[in-house]
Amino acid sequence: MQIEHDKVSGQDTTGHEWDGIKELNTPIPRVVTWSYQLTILFSICYWVLYPAWPYVTDFTRGLTGYSSREEVIDILQSSSNEREVSIATLFSLPIDELAENTAIRKQYETSASVLFADNCGACHGADLEGQTKFPNLKDEAWLWSDLPEEIEATILYGINSGHDEERYAEMTAFGRDEILTKEEISELVAYVQSISGQPHDEALLASGTELFEENCSGCHGDGGEGGLESGAPILTDNFWIYGGDAQTLSDTIWHGRKGVMPSWENRLSKADIRKLALYVYWQSHELEE
Amino acid sequence: MTKITENITALICSLLVLITGAIVVLYTSETGFLLHGWLMIFFSAWAVLTVVRRMNRPLEPKSLEYNDEVIKWGVLGCLFWGIIGFTVGDVLAWQLAYPDLNGDLPWTNFGRIRPIHTTAVIFGFAGNALMSTSFYVVQRTSRARLAGGYLGWLVFGGYNLFVLLAVTGYPLGITQGREYAEPEWYADILLLIVWLGYFWIYMRTLARRTEPHIYVANWYYLAFIVVIAMLHIVNNLVVPFGLEYTKSYSLFSGVQDAMTQWWYGHNAAGFFLTAGFLGMVYYFLPKAANRPIYSYRMSIVGFWGITFLYLWVGSHHLHYTALPDWVQILGMTMSVILIVPSWASVFNAILTLNGAWDKVRTDPAIRFMMVAVLFYGLTTFEGSFMAIKPVNSLSHYTDWTIGHVHAGALGWVAFITFGSMYKMVPWIWKRDGVYSIRLEAWHFWLALTGTFIYVGAMWNSGITQSLMWQTYDGEGNFLYSFMDSVDAMHGYYIARAIGGLLYLIGALIGAYNIYMTVQGPRKAPQQSNNLPVAAGE
Repeated sequence: MQIEHDKVSGQDTTGHEWDGIKELNTPIPRVVTWSYQLTILFSICYWVLYPAWPYVTDFTRGLTGYSSREEVIDILQSSSNEREVSIATLFSLPIDELAENTAIRKQYETSASVLFADNCGACHGADLEGQTKFPNLKDEAWLWSDLPEEIEATILYGINSGHDEERYAEMTAFGRDEILTKEEISELVAYVQSISGQPHDEALLASGTELFEENCSGCHGDGGEGGLESGAPILTDNFWIYGGDAQTLSDTIWHGRKGVMPSWENRLSKADIRKLALYVYWQSHELEE
Repeated sequence: MTKITENITALICSLLVLITGAIVVLYTSETGFLLHGWLMIFFSAWAVLTVVRRMNRPLEPKSLEYNDEVIKWGVLGCLFWGIIGFTVGDVLAWQLAYPDLNGDLPWTNFGRIRPIHTTAVIFGFAGNALMSTSFYVVQRTSRARLAGGYLGWLVFGGYNLFVLLAVTGYPLGITQGREYAEPEWYADILLLIVWLGYFWIYMRTLARRTEPHIYVANWYYLAFIVVIAMLHIVNNLVVPFGLEYTKSYSLFSGVQDAMTQWWYGHNAAGFFLTAGFLGMVYYFLPKAANRPIYSYRMSIVGFWGITFLYLWVGSHHLHYTALPDWVQILGMTMSVILIVPSWASVFNAILTLNGAWDKVRTDPAIRFMMVAVLFYGLTTFEGSFMAIKPVNSLSHYTDWTIGHVHAGALGWVAFITFGSMYKMVPWIWKRDGVYSIRLEAWHFWLALTGTFIYVGAMWNSGITQSLMWQTYDGEGNFLYSFMDSVDAMHGYYIARAIGGLLYLIGALIGAYNIYMTVQGPRKAPQQSNNLPVAAGE
């Protein structure tokens, strides 16, 4: 134990030494003591005002009686009051009239685009252009009509969704269920490629035409022109959900198709669904000023 | 313990692991558990062979020197896991910028390899650094040879087996899903036994000290060992689905489970990544700078403040959740007080450099230590700030948290480790100094640049994210979709990955420098300063 004087700091050492390490006996700087006092005082104020300390069966409530749960309920209540005004507007007119109203479009389009990107974009793309297996919503091909009220019904109830009001559509698995043979399917493929303006095998066309009329025109319309709005796509245009190449067409006819869109009735509010229906309509239709 | 009982104890312990491994291999039907059984067998068989070979040697007289052999292996483990952890971390960073890099395989996706990164850096890199430096420091500051003989090797070997079991299990889906406590029940039991051994060695060495007082570095190391044991036990109270299965279920449920996890999680940061490393600062900084500690009194105020307060603050990880308000607010206020002892420790370390500031310019190891302390100050300030509820509502669930953790991990934990290693390696291998000061400086600047880029990118991306998520119009509609915020992160994520890459390159240079130091010539023999006054019982 030898207390030494350190010239640099002007302090004495404590006299302890470990492997050459010594310690100065510098007093605790006032700022440390003050900071302790300040932060403890801050905490005590907080404990007095807010719930903070437990005791056997309960906890101190604090003078403010603060509760984060009640705070959330309040916030939700006040924001829902604000929303009611805009919701009222959305239900003041039938949806087809709202859809043609440029003022309504200006008011809701931006927020609806975020709603679409958050809820629908994962499948249909934030730009509405779809991807393989998920339809493009910007083109002119509509499976269930492009009337605003029909779009709204699709979002509400979904397609093959299991909802009581669902839109139901299923393409038969012609190959797997042994309705058509492999050869017949390749003849059909040639026909579908011909009506959609693609290169095809002319030799197979004649029997393909006949097979189409017997098996397919009931849903896809005469000559694949569609127009029945029953979930079966038009085959004469160049829009494809699954793909228009020979291999994909053959797979589609062999295995059938049954795409699913969920029902949003219990996931989004009625107002949000209406906004989405309008948004989808607006993205593919020009309004007259 | 005599040499013979030491040998027999080591043999029995290794055989126990061997038998456990064999039982696992015989009874399990899980691929992952089978792999772990074999790992246990190989690891312990190697240990058994080593012990048997040593038993055949003639008994040497008991050494009176400090026991540094196991420390050398700790340094190796630290560098090995460090390089693995940094590499996997940077791969993850690139995956976040370009998700296709996960190869579309289940074993390489983000969720499964992220815990490899965290476990390799926390338990592998930081854990081995703490174990090896604590063994070094406790011997020197107690002037006593490390207690337990072979036990040190068992602790080191068992600990690294634990890390190995952990990181090999994650890709196969073996996890408890508890952050920083992912390893399943059997690995946890192994760690518990190892940890009790570690505690015993530490206490025994302190007990046989020839110094009248216990040095402050040892308080911190001991706090780290004791509290980690406590946290590890409570957070891993689980019921295995069956002894032949890896899966287990927590004893707690719901918000109690969440609170237990974050009481553990925050104190893992507080005691594993803070207290232990403050122990490192209190030895290596004054030793390297050759200056006395600025204030003995500040050491006391800092130590007890940190030890007392940290245990209260875990709940600030669960602000605005189902956790009762009083738990959140108590945790928040304790977090605010915690800034004071944290910064007292920062100033105690920085002011210790008074009279030695010229060395910061000339000695990169001291520069590493000084910057580490500054980052410690930055991180603790940020931590207390983020624990305040309104601030937390901005920072929580964003990249700001990731930036905060990495300011601590890269800037504080790893910097103080590198600084200490550059000092300790020449000391234990008895070399004149580090192989190349120039490479050491390169390591420093690469690591510092990498850290700044990383942390800066995460601050920006975190605040951007948070603001985008919280922007509403008058009716409460979001103005940005979630995908908009993901798109906005892309540039920051690339910057982060580049920062991480610089850090990794720096660490590789550091590992090479340390390898060359070890390969280099031994110091000319001089008066031995490696003898404690009283060693052995």
